[in-house]
Amino acid sequence: MKNFYRKVAFGLGPDEKVPSDPLKWATNQLNDIPEFSWKGKILPEKKLRTYYREWVYGDRKVLRKKYKNDKDGYKREKNKLRHATGQKFWWNLELCIRYSEALKSTSPVLAKLWYFWGNHFAISEKDFLAQYTTGAYQREIIRANMNQNFEKMAQEATIGWSMIHHLDNEQNIGPKSQEAQWAREKGKTKGVNENHARELLELHTVSPDCGYTQEDVIQMAYIMSGWRPKWGKKRLETGDVHFNPDAHEPGTKTVLGKKYKRGRKSLSVAITDLVNHPSCRKFIAMKLCRYLITDNPTEEMMQPIIKAWEKSDGFLPEVHKAAIEVAFNYSDKYNKFQNPENWLLQMSKMADVDLIPSPSFMDLYQLGNKPIKDQRALERLMDELGQHPYLAKQPNGWSDISEDWMSPELLIRRLVYAREAYYKKSGKSQTTEFYEEMIEKNYDNSGEILKIIDQHRELVHKHVILFNLPETLKS
Amino acid sequence: MKISRRNFLKGSATTLFLAGFNFPVLANTDKKKNLVVIMLRGGMDGLCAVPIIGDKNFEKKRKDLILDETIKLNSDFALHPKLKNFHNLWQNNLGAIVHATNIPYTKRSHFDGQNLMETGGHTPYSIKTGWLGRGMKLGELKGDGLALALPMPLLLRGIPSNDNFYPSKKRLPRTELLQLLKSVYTDKSEHDLANMMEIIANRSMMNNGGTSMSRKNSSLAYKAGLELKKINGPRVAVFEVDGFDTHAAQGGVNGSHSDSLIEMDSIFKSLEKGLGEEIENTLVLTLTEFGRTIKQNGGRGTEHGYGSAIFMAGGLIKKSQVYTDWPGLKRKELFEGRDLNSTIDSRSVYASAMSTVFDIDFKRIQKEVFWGDKLQNLSEKLFKS
Repeated sequence: MKNFYRKVAFGLGPDEKVPSDPLKWATNQLNDIPEFSWKGKILPEKKLRTYYREWVYGDRKVLRKKYKNDKDGYKREKNKLRHATGQKFWWNLELCIRYSEALKSTSPVLAKLWYFWGNHFAISEKDFLAQYTTGAYQREIIRANMNQNFEKMAQEATIGWSMIHHLDNEQNIGPKSQEAQWAREKGKTKGVNENHARELLELHTVSPDCGYTQEDVIQMAYIMSGWRPKWGKKRLETGDVHFNPDAHEPGTKTVLGKKYKRGRKSLSVAITDLVNHPSCRKFIAMKLCRYLITDNPTEEMMQPIIKAWEKSDGFLPEVHKAAIEVAFNYSDKYNKFQNPENWLLQMSKMADVDLIPSPSFMDLYQLGNKPIKDQRALERLMDELGQHPYLAKQPNGWSDISEDWMSPELLIRRLVYAREAYYKKSGKSQTTEFYEEMIEKNYDNSGEILKIIDQHRELVHKHVILFNLPETLKS
Repeated sequence: MKISRRNFLKGSATTLFLAGFNFPVLANTDKKKNLVVIMLRGGMDGLCAVPIIGDKNFEKKRKDLILDETIKLNSDFALHPKLKNFHNLWQNNLGAIVHATNIPYTKRSHFDGQNLMETGGHTPYSIKTGWLGRGMKLGELKGDGLALALPMPLLLRGIPSNDNFYPSKKRLPRTELLQLLKSVYTDKSEHDLANMMEIIANRSMMNNGGTSMSRKNSSLAYKAGLELKKINGPRVAVFEVDGFDTHAAQGGVNGSHSDSLIEMDSIFKSLEKGLGEEIENTLVLTLTEFGRTIKQNGGRGTEHGYGSAIFMAGGLIKKSQVYTDWPGLKRKELFEGRDLNSTIDSRSVYASAMSTVFDIDFKRIQKEVFWGDKLQNLSEKLFKS
């Protein structure tokens, strides 16, 4: 049962009491979205986007032209521009904010689910989105909607600047639209780009299980045509997302047998229909079970979550509570191999590793300067562990299937970074008593575990072994 | 069942070993053959990499993407001008291309497509092993796979004990600690973990002069080449190249599709360098989820399509050739009126390659790796026996 604390959160830290009612402890964390526990600077997405704009514009429109015959000069000025726009700093700040929720907040269960949703509506590696805006997108669009209906999150994520830009919807122009007409008059062709429409169906809502066709994808793309960042000579693709009727495909569209009239409203109506499709709730229930419980969720596991969804109209706190309860009921029967990020956070929480730089240290950063090495520690660490949360390779995010995380090289990372982490602990947590208490609190078979780690004398080795035992790798 | 010489030797050596003799040693006469697969993620545009020469339909449909100064391969096809290393191989009879080919998947989703290119199956996510892993299992090549990537690619799953290499900058804990973990894994029946720990404990590549190594594909490929060259080294290596999904700004010679092709080309070069003469006993193949639309889109990019091309390199190819059953690019010849068609199931190429490199009868691979699907045996046409 104690693996439940690690399954739905990151285990119990040294200052935390063992809850008398574990299930209640977990579900109580899911009603509200508390303020961030990070006490340093937090920048709005819009502000970060202006830095991204300065970077894109400065590089593409200024430096590339100015230094077209001076390769070294170009390199030098480009580096200056990186620092002038905080390219190496912002995503480290975002990781501080992100991990404070797991390690320092009173709602680590909410944090674990936040990571799930951020990955569900993933912004994968593209251009420099990760360095500037992805963290803020996950705060303002994903986390902020975790006490709302799924529909609201889906609506906002779909027309969020990050998603629209990430999935190329600015290139999605109705072939019979005014804009395509103008292009033809100039001898150019403009047309549909299916990317975002396809992912909306496949990854974000109904999944291929619902049986949509290529024609549905195209029709969905027509509905989405015209949604794009407001273009400007200086802001390029970084303007706020708006609906431009000139790029919208005229006429009625049909997706999954339902008709949609032309115009701005059709996308939101279509999303409402998609999130209410039975395949959508089934897909989300399956993914929640897969994330929390097992690679191969059963119908039995999914049913209570689907029911909670139906009863509450996809109200996320209710959906989350149902998922957590299922995880609780199956905690003795199933262990889930933890991805590198969750593993790191577990270790940091239980063993009191000083993972996150302090707010005052991060706030020392001054725009224009190169960040200090330790201000960039988190970004580098996540990359080394093989799972930087803002750098998923594809729009389907990081895998939540165990096998994808099983390889010698990834296991090597856990060995070497468990060791590194040990030296980031305070002196008071570097004692045998500390470990005994922590193991007792977090593992059902504490006696057996103590026996294993006692085979090595030095505490650092005990630490490395503990965090690479099957009981820790799988929770 | 026809037992290949290598399998026979392996079998008898194991028997000797069990009977108390020393470690099995491969006979010198038994040539070690290597298979390298480079996964091109995002949908490689076969028509950008290997454009057709003098096709009006083609030139009309992608005005802004036509390349200047392509390298002429034969009367029908040219090569992207940035693929200089591949061209070198071609000139030495070490490079060939299969064109208008793809896995039998036509739905244009990256995730489903990449899943299927790795499993070789028909329904996304239904198969949990890769075609290469299954082929290796058939060839009894346990412990012979090497992935040059951080997570283990699906393509190699299906046989345990594969290795991966993507160098860490820190040192491993002491051996006794690794041994303890291994025995705990074994006691707890965590066989996958135990296998991995065994590989880690025996890793030789880590201790390479103590200098931290680059993770660039070109440098990984050199390292992989050196490992493949060893008689007891891995026999299969897998690389990944990202970034082929060029919906926008695909560009011409210096565009974004070119960047990814150049990265692929650097793998050819470094592998050759690392392998030395063993390039003669090696076969390198590329793999992608689909090609791209012929027509350029509004953003001077291309959409997800169907037919693409396979690059092949190494001494096990028969000769420099563009092997194709060209479907044509007129509207009615296109797949769904928009994509280059696939006239060769690319799995035929992969099955034939495994048959050649692993010395397994083609029909067994067809039956046991690809569920008896209708595939052509192209071994004789494409590869040296």
